[in-house]
Amino acid sequence: MSVITAYCRLTEDVCAVNGEVKLRRNVALEDSWFKQIYRHFDFSYPKFYKMDKLSQAGFLASELLRKINPGIMGYGDDEIALLFANRSSSAETDQRFKDSYTSNSAPSPSTFVYTLPNIVIGEIAIRNKWYGENMFAVLPKFAPDFYKNYAQILTSSDSKAVLCGWLEVTAGNTDVFLFTVEEKEGGTEFSEENLFRLLETAATH
Amino acid sequence: MIYIGAEVIVSPLGDNAEDNWQAISANRSGIALVPSAGFNGEDIHLARIAALNGSLRFQQLVVKALSTLVAKIDASIVSSDRTMVLISSTKGALDDNINDQFSETNVAVQQQLGLAHLPMVISNACISGVLALNAAGNMIKNGQFEHVIVVGCDLASDFVLYGFQSLFAVSDKPCAPFDAARNGITLGEGSGAVLVSGTKSVFKDPPLELLTGTSANDANHISGPSRTGEGLVRSVLKTLRYNDVSGDEIDFISAHGTGTIFNDEMESIAFDSMNLSHIPLNSLKGYYGHTLGAAGVIETTVSMQMIRNGMLLESLGYLNNGVSRPLNIITKNTRASLKTVLKTASGFGGGNASLLIRKI
Repeated sequence: MSVITAYCRLTEDVCAVNGEVKLRRNVALEDSWFKQIYRHFDFSYPKFYKMDKLSQAGFLASELLRKINPGIMGYGDDEIALLFANRSSSAETDQRFKDSYTSNSAPSPSTFVYTLPNIVIGEIAIRNKWYGENMFAVLPKFAPDFYKNYAQILTSSDSKAVLCGWLEVTAGNTDVFLFTVEEKEGGTEFSEENLFRLLETAATH
Repeated sequence: MIYIGAEVIVSPLGDNAEDNWQAISANRSGIALVPSAGFNGEDIHLARIAALNGSLRFQQLVVKALSTLVAKIDASIVSSDRTMVLISSTKGALDDNINDQFSETNVAVQQQLGLAHLPMVISNACISGVLALNAAGNMIKNGQFEHVIVVGCDLASDFVLYGFQSLFAVSDKPCAPFDAARNGITLGEGSGAVLVSGTKSVFKDPPLELLTGTSANDANHISGPSRTGEGLVRSVLKTLRYNDVSGDEIDFISAHGTGTIFNDEMESIAFDSMNLSHIPLNSLKGYYGHTLGAAGVIETTVSMQMIRNGMLLESLGYLNNGVSRPLNIITKNTRASLKTVLKTASGFGGGNASLLIRKI
């Protein structure tokens, strides 16, 4: 049976793993919210500081999932598929890149390379040395059936596990939900209903 | 069997697959020098569609490709709830609305074509098109849909041009994939569309077979290819294995071939390590430039035209070998009976994808 084995939620001010709040944003700190999470969990991956917000969000949530569900590192290096989606593509970084060349200076190459939504998949693949299947879709809203249908396609071939992600990170909105889907007996069934339920409750416990 | 057909290309070389074939089989390129197009006012080679003007250029191009496709299929399937449309694109309508690059186009396409479902956008950098074709085949195999129309589309916007300029990745002449003197990409714009279906009778002209393939990440760098071609090798080998096809059966490879030093070198290493370097190969970037999210669809449709017309098409811009593992690059148009074709793509974010097309 396909089950949701772990999930992580990041909102504007809450970081929660498996429904349990791990950190709340401290507005008094100068650090950005994602840097607060990075520091709190003592992550050590200097490349984090070069990433755009979308990639930072994906990095943090996937690292937190690894911590709580170390079993996902036991698969072969191409047996984990990455199935991601959001609504706004890379709009936040796109705007920053556009600003870089419209504000009397030159286009910024280090910003340009993040002006694609699937870069976050690349960052997570690099971090974990995962060579599996990739897919990034731009959808009008969080759509459990997208994950359900495409994860089923992926696991019916070589993929044994799927790291799924909804990553909407814009100037005024952080709505991140990553979850791992594996074939196991027992646990939270990978159903559309359960996905909605986990998304709604994940950050409120 | 998964069928693929009703191919359409809208590009600087024409508004349908037939006009495009006329042009490219005469080795005409859509690339031209555009005065003052660069960030510093430099003249830049681009493959831009001159007739595409005004606002909503992305939407215009997608709708044009789709309307042309509808004339080539049983039009009654378009509004069926068993039909899906996938749009593969990197930057969509960024010039119209940077904060929401796809919604308006999706809604317009749904309304104008009378679709049961809102189109779905697949955005995976330069592998988007091949990935969307594979997704289409998989959705049909999985029983989710019976027909999936795939339309790949991207524009040669200032945004993307300035970005590649900032990376020093834009060629100072029309791009020259795999050539010794290559020095970067030429940006192009266009749209390619096909119908992927489980039903043969919905195609007006005989379709070909789509052997859906796989994707694989390099896990190496977000904006540079792997030096070993790791992800490309993994993707191609998996695609061959899934379809029980051996390397000797491939008659032609439609490579990615962007014209950058590192990409083309990576591909030569990958094909060599898979013992595929003797197979006739081209890059179509010399005709269309790099059309990003549209490239995989446009180049697959050209491969289909090559099968239909029995011709290996010259790899435009190639003169002298410029990669460390020599490839069998097609240097002039050659008559050939093509049965099985491999299409590959590689892109930013470390993605690689491949698929096979077979003559029925």
